[in-house]
Amino acid sequence: MEAFLREVQEVVKRYPQKRAAILPALYLAEQRFGWLSQEAYEAVAEALNMPKATVKGVATFYSMYRKAPMGRNLIQLCTNVACMVMGAETLLQLLERRYGLRPGGTTEDGRFSLVVMECIGACDRAPAMLVNKDFHPNLNENNIIEILEGYS
Amino acid sequence: MIRLTIDGIEVELEEPVTVLEAARKVGIKIPTLCWFEGLPPFGGCRLCLVKVEKLPKLQTACTLMSADGMVVETENPEIRAARRAMLEFLLINHPLDCPYCDKAGECELQDLVAKYGPEAGRFAEGKRRHPESFDDPIIVRNMERCVLCTRCVRVCEDLQGAYAITVTGRGAHSFVEPFSGGRYDCEYCGNCLTVCPVGAIMSRLHLHSYRPWFVQKEAETVCSYCGVGCRMVVQVRENSIIRTIPRFGLGVNDGLLCVRGRFGYDYIEQKERLRTAFIRKDGELRPVSIEEAIEYTAKKLLQIKDTNGPETIGAIASGRCSNEDNYMLQRLMRFFIGSNNIDSSARLYYIPIVQYLERIFGQGVTANLMPGIGRSDGVVVVGGDPTRINPVLGLQIRACHRNGGKVVVFGPSGGLKRFVPYELRPRDDEALLVAVLKALIEKKGMPGENKNLEERLKEIEVETHDVLREASIEEPLFDTLVGDLLGLQNPVVVVGPEVLQAERPSRVLFLVAGIVYLLGARVFVMSDRPNYQGLMDMGCLPDMLPGERPIELETFRHKVESVMGRPVPDKAGMNLFQMLEMAKEGNLKALYVMGDNLYYHMPDAEEALQSIDFLVVQDIFMTETAERADVVLPAAGWTEKEGTFTNLERRLQRFEKSRTPLGCMEDWRLLAELMAHMGDERPPRTVAEIWDELVQVSPLHIGINPREIGPEGMIYPYHGEPLRGVEGEFDVEALKGPYGGGPEGLRLILDRPLYHSGSQSRRSRALRSLQDSPVLCLSPEDARDLGLEDADMVRVTSSKGMLKVKVAISEDVASGTARLSNTFSEVHFSRLVGIRQDPVTTGGVFTDNLVKIEKLPSEGSEEVME
Repeated sequence: MEAFLREVQEVVKRYPQKRAAILPALYLAEQRFGWLSQEAYEAVAEALNMPKATVKGVATFYSMYRKAPMGRNLIQLCTNVACMVMGAETLLQLLERRYGLRPGGTTEDGRFSLVVMECIGACDRAPAMLVNKDFHPNLNENNIIEILEGYS
Repeated sequence: MIRLTIDGIEVELEEPVTVLEAARKVGIKIPTLCWFEGLPPFGGCRLCLVKVEKLPKLQTACTLMSADGMVVETENPEIRAARRAMLEFLLINHPLDCPYCDKAGECELQDLVAKYGPEAGRFAEGKRRHPESFDDPIIVRNMERCVLCTRCVRVCEDLQGAYAITVTGRGAHSFVEPFSGGRYDCEYCGNCLTVCPVGAIMSRLHLHSYRPWFVQKEAETVCSYCGVGCRMVVQVRENSIIRTIPRFGLGVNDGLLCVRGRFGYDYIEQKERLRTAFIRKDGELRPVSIEEAIEYTAKKLLQIKDTNGPETIGAIASGRCSNEDNYMLQRLMRFFIGSNNIDSSARLYYIPIVQYLERIFGQGVTANLMPGIGRSDGVVVVGGDPTRINPVLGLQIRACHRNGGKVVVFGPSGGLKRFVPYELRPRDDEALLVAVLKALIEKKGMPGENKNLEERLKEIEVETHDVLREASIEEPLFDTLVGDLLGLQNPVVVVGPEVLQAERPSRVLFLVAGIVYLLGARVFVMSDRPNYQGLMDMGCLPDMLPGERPIELETFRHKVESVMGRPVPDKAGMNLFQMLEMAKEGNLKALYVMGDNLYYHMPDAEEALQSIDFLVVQDIFMTETAERADVVLPAAGWTEKEGTFTNLERRLQRFEKSRTPLGCMEDWRLLAELMAHMGDERPPRTVAEIWDELVQVSPLHIGINPREIGPEGMIYPYHGEPLRGVEGEFDVEALKGPYGGGPEGLRLILDRPLYHSGSQSRRSRALRSLQDSPVLCLSPEDARDLGLEDADMVRVTSSKGMLKVKVAISEDVASGTARLSNTFSEVHFSRLVGIRQDPVTTGGVFTDNLVKIEKLPSEGSEEVME
């Protein structure tokens, strides 16, 4: 908790006032707590001296914060036009067969969560996915498993 | 000067206001949904759209500032179509469950659709679903009905300052939620449900039990819980209260209420209410008719008066009873018993604090207007948490902070935490007070107005640094504090009951008075009963006649005697403590207790009450005191009688009767009947007749006709201006110091919680649903040292007794103290402590309050261990 407070203090320095740091602070909380639990909101509220209800209100407004428990690794697979044409849907089926993973779901062992993305801007190298912060282009049924096996 | 035209009417404005407000000034009502008087404009609902000449699109009148030469149209086919379209959007998701919704009939959305349409929606998609939340004991949320006007969120943030609810999610999936998503766990002021225009946030107390058009009668009344005197309207059907609502623009509370006022009213209709009188026969209380009980009481009182003398009879007045009730009680004592032995529980802190300050500054020093707190540039709080003792006064302090004022709290800041820039938690309040006072004297110098006070102030000889070290306050923090205080132009000091809980209460009070004087501040004294000030004004004091005129002055006595045609006993009577002492010695033969649970909240009262030969208790419940009485008289309660209260700013407020009680009688009427049996040929038979007499007796109330008191009440006789500049005599103990100190150990302190106020709130189901059992509040530091966690069961032992209670760890408790309230019947504060009377201020100081706290192995019951 103290380490988290220190991280937030670092971020706060970049802004004219404490509450301006709420979005990066939420991001830090997401990293520390895995997802934005009630506990995470409370930690952010305390760090920024803001009402906890207000923190929750801000966080839930944004769609890309994790507001439910997530696996250790987040797979964001694009299924937009270019990726779809290049076989992204087959990859989805493969993920379900191999890991029991459906869009929006998490594997039982908590290893992976899967989110279906609308275009990640890699149409020239479709199909593509993000695993956590890593970008993986030119996927096929073989290399996707290989890549994913590298994440524990 | 701004001139604009609205619907062809010329409007002239001194100050620029919004078009909406400008229109209201000339009586044009532009429809709104998200706009709410007192809240900042939001511009979210788009219903106040108006056409402004030369502007291409329709404009929201609530956010558009009026400008010179503007030509505005508020109704035309284009505007109507736009409003209809906005309403159609709202109805996409708003369920049409009006037949089932409590709000139907007073729903703003319903009214607007009735006016503008649409008759039917064109959207075939299903409505969003979000199940009604019954997670909370007293507030129901139905977010399917929410139109996202955010009035509730704004009232919670801007007026209540609680920040308990927020809009979560986005777009059509936005919902208003408390942090937990379920229970509110907030201050439960309920102001969110006052402002909700639809049935999205509703009170659970009367869910599905009424329709708005069932209200048969409305009575304007004053809340019966604390000394703020919030105005509210009681709505009644079939002689039963449906609900209480506040009105915006009315009274000191201006539409805001606190949890006790809004939800705690149900005590009045509990089955436990007394419906008959009782007389003790063969050791048991037996029900009898009121007439029989009164006749018996009159006979007994006269008998004791003749045999033992009038000075062996005493009376206890009530801060819960009206001015009229209290006036009649002192009338009984002075003119029909012939004794000045009359006092009340206000003696514990309210009377001593007010009288002490009056001795220094002159009568009426606390007659200041509460809205002035919000408008001041700084508030100093000492001796208690106003957001709990007087919650709506606390809101004024929050408002002061919001308006840029400085808030300084001596002690834990409690409900003001968010509003205090630096929290001062000294080890010793007294040491900090004296340090602040010294610093103010050094930096500001004496104003030279009150010679008496200044001479005493000069006697303080302490070194600021020494005291600061003693109080464990850091110097830089202290310097900012003093700097802030010195900069105040228009400050306020709010004084609470705990200032008297010291080794030398007079010295703490004197220090507070010194700060008041040097800052030139207005002073407010917290009052946890609705009519402490009123009972003082009515002469329920052993040494004062009605109008707070000293008995020892012959001229005042003569004036009263000439009106009453009866002598006024010329010797000052006994105060509360002296009466109980007399009783213990066997010298108080009879005690008449009106609306006070003395046995329960007065430590060590048991022996005294047992020694009294004839104890009469007049109350609305069979209280612990009533159970020990020889006669119990059933009294009418709040909203069951008309009358007046005088609040802590000395505002005289009239309240109406809303319902007729069964089997009981107004306190003043019981007393009038009693006097009729004791030789009074013309006892007052109506409230108006009481006033006819009162205005002749009390110089404070000359010329008042209670019927003429309007909804704003009457600030009388001070007109909101204290009578300053009267230099009186006062004593201070040990002014030269040493300051601070006191016994080492954990001290038990009387808790005055938000949800409860004692034997009245205990009988409110609504308030019990928020807190149903006693808790011992401990600071996180002490809990850690004792190895305790939240909700652990502990045994608390003092030299007076021992009891088991659950622990609640709270930041709002100063370390070195534990807090327990006087709320629940078995486990409560007074059982563990003693009390002594401070000789200088005459107030009560709790003693024997050093406690030992031990953790109990497992969840035990809360029964008392003897």
